Amino acid sequence: MDFSFVILQFLTGLAYASSLFLLAVGLSLIFGALGIVNFAHGSFYMLGAYLLYWVVHGNPEGLWWGLVVVAALGFVVGAATERLLLRPVYDRPEHYQILLTYALLLVIEDGVKLFFGAAYKSLGPPAALAYPVWIAGAPFPAYYFVQIALAMLVAAALWFFLQRTRSGALVRAATQDREMLEALGINVPRLLTAVFALGIALATLGGAATLPMQTVSPGIAVEAVISAFIVVVVGGLGSVWGALLGAFLIGEIQAFGVLVLPEFAIAFVYLLMVVVLLVRPWGLLGRPPAVRT
Amino acid sequence: MKRGMRFLALLVLMLAGAALAAEPIKIGAMYILSGNFANYGTSSKQGVQLAVEKINAKGGILGRPIEVTFVDHGKPDQAVREAKRLILENKVDFLFGIDSSSVSLAVAPVANEYKVPLIVTHAATPRLTEMCLPYVFRTSNNARMDSWAAAAFAAKQPYKRWANIGPDYEFGRVSWEDFITRLKELKPDVEVVSEQWPKFGSSDYSSYITALMRAKPEAVFSSLWGGDFVSFGKQAIPFGFFKTIKFYVNPTGGALQALEPLGKNTPEGMLVSARYWFLYPETEANKAFVKKFHDKFGDYPSYNAGEAYEGMMMLAAAIEKAGSTDPDAVKAAFEADGGLKYQAIEGLKWMRPADHQVFEDLVWGYTKHTDKYPFAILDPIVVVPAKDTIYPTKCAK
Repeated sequence: MDFSFVILQFLTGLAYASSLFLLAVGLSLIFGALGIVNFAHGSFYMLGAYLLYWVVHGNPEGLWWGLVVVAALGFVVGAATERLLLRPVYDRPEHYQILLTYALLLVIEDGVKLFFGAAYKSLGPPAALAYPVWIAGAPFPAYYFVQIALAMLVAAALWFFLQRTRSGALVRAATQDREMLEALGINVPRLLTAVFALGIALATLGGAATLPMQTVSPGIAVEAVISAFIVVVVGGLGSVWGALLGAFLIGEIQAFGVLVLPEFAIAFVYLLMVVVLLVRPWGLLGRPPAVRT
Repeated sequence: MKRGMRFLALLVLMLAGAALAAEPIKIGAMYILSGNFANYGTSSKQGVQLAVEKINAKGGILGRPIEVTFVDHGKPDQAVREAKRLILENKVDFLFGIDSSSVSLAVAPVANEYKVPLIVTHAATPRLTEMCLPYVFRTSNNARMDSWAAAAFAAKQPYKRWANIGPDYEFGRVSWEDFITRLKELKPDVEVVSEQWPKFGSSDYSSYITALMRAKPEAVFSSLWGGDFVSFGKQAIPFGFFKTIKFYVNPTGGALQALEPLGKNTPEGMLVSARYWFLYPETEANKAFVKKFHDKFGDYPSYNAGEAYEGMMMLAAAIEKAGSTDPDAVKAAFEADGGLKYQAIEGLKWMRPADHQVFEDLVWGYTKHTDKYPFAILDPIVVVPAKDTIYPTKCAK
């Protein structure tokens, strides 16, 4: 296998991993802090793509400010969802929360169908990025570098936020012991709203960022949430860095699996998940469930 | 006593009224109305609506109006439940429609068992009509005919190195199998250099595209359709795919559902087809149909809307010929005189009596951009005559 092709395939995998990371990191973050498995996460990802299409009126040149607006809208939608729908069920048994987020998935799917119709929506990349970049003599879509850069930026910003700021320290504390945090006089409900909103903002941003290379329709939500779950199962539910590692592994396995056995390329990803579940059921970077006393 | 008389009189009046308004012909139409492919089901439904409106405006069939119940067929298990409900509770005379190949394979035996004729207008797996079920009919062409037509074009090209990229399920597998088998018959020196099978409904095709291009094929066959085709196209263009590959052929690439979202980004010169193309033939009848459809729904009729419309019209013709809605009479009407020949807007449809598969001229064309439409159209159009797509059937007659 020639070296330039390996680089090309690696970059292809990296681009896919980038969109997986933006999709899955919010799911992990939300589970870590709120303890909620958000089945509607893929729906917010899909909503992000629709919102981008809507705010830029189908004009590809509006992508840059469009992404910012979509992330902001996602934050607002996320905050409202947490405040109005999730907060009342925190004290109920877990299956209420699962039912609620699953119901949200259905509501959002029908909602976008009512609002945007059932047809596929598509938006091209901005003209400046519509051409290939030449990597070691092979063409590679310029837009993928935007996705890769975006994912790296988000990962770096999350690292800074979680490790270097006081609010980030509080979020980390919330994943460990919510009651203790409350006892220390921290406004935990507000903190949880912010974390949920952040997770949703990242999902909508991720969905919007894929639109220039993909297409959106109401059905992609389910596809997306399954991918997100595979990533967090591999990486460790609740772990931000696990989502990063999981997305990277899956992206690259997909890219190189196609070369080894094109007929069974998809199977490699599931195989990885099975192996992880057998060897480390809590995920590569997850924490084994602690027994609470 | 007086009240009793009045009640009786009312009852008699009601019964007489019911007898006067002829019993409607009930049809259960099953299409995919939710999820990722809902836009296909929705346009099929529109085609049916337009046909029923036209039939009922002329007084129905045999003096009876048509009454259609639409259901979302979903996945095969759900579709089987819906089909049984339509048969047992709604007491439909016919089952109609079906977008998905796997759903058609699940529903066909059920319809057959209850002796409720099923008329399929979209699902395209050749296996459906090769089941040789007496009460199952398909009024649109199937994937094998598309693959054979594609192979006929491919055989005329000087290219020997072929590759495939198709969705990993029934339709994608069958299309490629039929295509390459036929092509090797017509041109024995072709060579398959790569086969790529992305998951049906995938959003990311880039690693498949690079792997395919690495095998350096000269020509590519692809049965990716709908949103898959749109995503694939958007990713293939910046990889320089359409510049490296000399010949790209896709039997479903001419669907408006894919061409409209791709818009001006659609590569030119792809050889694509759709079972009905709204700009062909250039007859007054077709122009009137397209205009009526556009006026009512604000959109051009997609291929499956066209096929749903014609399927309903062809069924109406069969019932008319049978003189009743009795399943055996309708079956006989479809089969008699060497098979029902129905003059559709798109051309002549001939129902082969042995397997109940319709054969018709297929419209193909090369994608091209014009100022008139915001999406690519087929120009030039190349028509494959029905006789070139007639494959042998194992069904006996």
